[in-house]
Amino acid sequence: MPWFGFGFNAFGQIYVHEELRKGECSDSAKQVKVSKPAELSGQVDRRDGCLKTEIRASWSRRASLHLDSDSCVCLAGFVSSGSSHALPVKESRGCKDAIISESYLTLAFSDRLESWDLQKEEKTPSWSMAIKTHPESSGPSVDLPLVPGGYIATTPPLYRSLSPQLRAKSLALSSEHAVLLSASGAVYTWGLGSHGQLGHGGLASEEEPRVVEALWGMTMSCVATGSWHSVCISDGGDLYVWGWNESGQLGLPSRGLRKALQQQSSQQAGALHPDASTSPAEEPQEGEEHEEVFISIQAFPALLDITPSSCEIRTVSCGCRHTAAVTTTGDLYTWGWGDYGQLGQQTLVSSDEPQRVEFFREQQMHVTDVVCGAWNTFVAAVKEEVACS
Amino acid sequence: MATLWSKVSAALPHNEEQLPLQFSDKVESSVVEMLKRSRRQLYGDASSASRTLTAQIILDFSWEKLNTGTWRRVDKEWRRVYSYGCLFKVAALCRDDPSADDVVQAVRTCDMALLMGAAILDNILQVLVRILQEEVKKSTKPEEEREPTEAKRVKMECPRVPVIKEESAVPRIKCPSLERFSTSYLLPLRPVVLEGTIEHWPALNQHPWSIAYLRSVAGCRTVPVEVGSRYTDEGWSQTLLTVDEFIDRYILNKEGVKGLGYLAQHQLFDQIPELKEDIRPPDYCCLGEGDEDDITVNAWFGPGGTVSPLHQDPQQNFLAQVVGSKYIRLYSPEDTDKLYPHQSQLLHNTSQVEVENPDAERFPEFARAPYLECVLQPGDVLFIPVQHWHYVRSLELSFSVSFWWS
Repeated sequence: MPWFGFGFNAFGQIYVHEELRKGECSDSAKQVKVSKPAELSGQVDRRDGCLKTEIRASWSRRASLHLDSDSCVCLAGFVSSGSSHALPVKESRGCKDAIISESYLTLAFSDRLESWDLQKEEKTPSWSMAIKTHPESSGPSVDLPLVPGGYIATTPPLYRSLSPQLRAKSLALSSEHAVLLSASGAVYTWGLGSHGQLGHGGLASEEEPRVVEALWGMTMSCVATGSWHSVCISDGGDLYVWGWNESGQLGLPSRGLRKALQQQSSQQAGALHPDASTSPAEEPQEGEEHEEVFISIQAFPALLDITPSSCEIRTVSCGCRHTAAVTTTGDLYTWGWGDYGQLGQQTLVSSDEPQRVEFFREQQMHVTDVVCGAWNTFVAAVKEEVACS
Repeated sequence: MATLWSKVSAALPHNEEQLPLQFSDKVESSVVEMLKRSRRQLYGDASSASRTLTAQIILDFSWEKLNTGTWRRVDKEWRRVYSYGCLFKVAALCRDDPSADDVVQAVRTCDMALLMGAAILDNILQVLVRILQEEVKKSTKPEEEREPTEAKRVKMECPRVPVIKEESAVPRIKCPSLERFSTSYLLPLRPVVLEGTIEHWPALNQHPWSIAYLRSVAGCRTVPVEVGSRYTDEGWSQTLLTVDEFIDRYILNKEGVKGLGYLAQHQLFDQIPELKEDIRPPDYCCLGEGDEDDITVNAWFGPGGTVSPLHQDPQQNFLAQVVGSKYIRLYSPEDTDKLYPHQSQLLHNTSQVEVENPDAERFPEFARAPYLECVLQPGDVLFIPVQHWHYVRSLELSFSVSFWWS
């Protein structure tokens, strides 16, 4: 299954450009900011198309988790020594799952967990734990960052315990807050609440997991977190968003973003026509535009409409300040911060409205999965006819 | 005449070795790599676009770190990284025949470092901003004629001056000795207006702080501005503006913007040392235990009608009035139970009562709280003892300087 990447590529984590390899280049902007989806190199079907690959990404790296009989993790992007080739991590042979943060690569094996410090060249993992296999327990044994009895955080102490009463099914983490999905479909959040990212209606922080009451009674199927925002999908495919909307990452009208875009366009206009800084067309129009309610912080979950409104959302992922969602019809929508091309719209413009990424339609491709890095986005897509067969 | 870049590069370290990039292990090696890339581009061959881009990556990354967690918990290393990002961006902007707009952007970038970053390389951004400001001044000289009309417009305001009742007036005293101030006011924590103690300030003599003067010293500098009448109001926010923009928009009201803007509680004098030369910390501060360096000096500059809701601060305060007048009401901390502080952690040192228009039903005890009041005139210094509740409303265009000390 081919994966595509777009957005931040300063370390070659999407693809390695010739000039980047040499260290210096004349016009690096195009290589650093990949705004058009690019197929990930060096990982297309190693063996007869039966390979299943998953992607994990941090700010400077991409980890490709190849899940087959001889599973392993390959890293692309920043390497301390300076070269940026996709290196297979030999210690990862046989792993079932992996997560990567800026400092650690955590690997889950059937019998143990290992966290490797990416800052140092060490012969042994900086943290490890044996897993006792419970044959009676159903379902997959681990779903990182969840591990038996707790979870793996992005910063030390890596292992933190979780109450078994939460019956955690999946967990999404930012460096400062956590969103947990329980087996019953309830959503719990805790950590820093400064930007409404916990969804309890205020800006207070929570030490312990607290159920998001506004979602009570609805069954959720997927959760994700950005640096200051959170999202979840209901069983019916509805998308709920809350937290900070500074770059439009909630898909709701953002005053900060509109101001920034206005400034940019007036600067460009000023550069072209130094005498006419404001054209009459830019004057605010009377009527609905004028009345628009801007959202800076959304402290309770809000239902986000994606047009056409019949869309159901299958999966969602968040970067630091952007969001990407896949519909059940195989379309990808993105919104939020776009400075590095992470929205895949072939521009470097941020958007506070979900917009379909037309590239995959044009290529007659069906999007099946999306995983965001901090400032980039990775998408799995298959040709329509393959999807149908 | 030397070009801007030759002046800027003379202020920069001469080579890569003299620009060390050392950080604690809080700063991941990928970020350090980006800093090194930026340094290599500064001293080596690179396009202006790639120099700017690498600096922007550093700024974007450290901006996210500065906004993660509470400001006080942000590791100082990230504030240093942010300053390095600003330094590299300024260097990139000034490099190849900068336009007037590039120079303005470079000044703004220096200010962002001074506002959000930490000092690096002997406070190099302070050195750079001085060079850049000279450049801005050169290109904006011939506009001095606009000032007289501005002055007229400002004076047209008609302040609502409250009548101060004699029994509630804050006592006034002319230049008391240290001893006298200490025994009569500091030790018993009694408010007093000191007269004649700042008449020697250049801000009141050599270069009186007028709008024209502030424009000439600080016009192109970026400062934080509070927008909205009171910080307790819904819709109150903070924004960044240049001093010129602030004056045009909120002092002279040129753009017809509704609402108030207040350059409040900002350490302007650390950001712009030239203005610091115009003021002096009051001698009485030596009665405290702290050093002169421990005194926090804040600027409060705004139009008539700005309000600081009734609140208390954890330090002694000298509030010096330089321009215009302010009405001030003071309540003793002994009467806190009659002042209805907010319940929330964030605002627990702020009263819920609108002092000049109290809601007697919600806050019945408030009317029973005794208070002192005064109108502060240019040259007056009000001593606000530690924890004393104070309410402040500007009666006209006003510039005050507060000194927090212990």
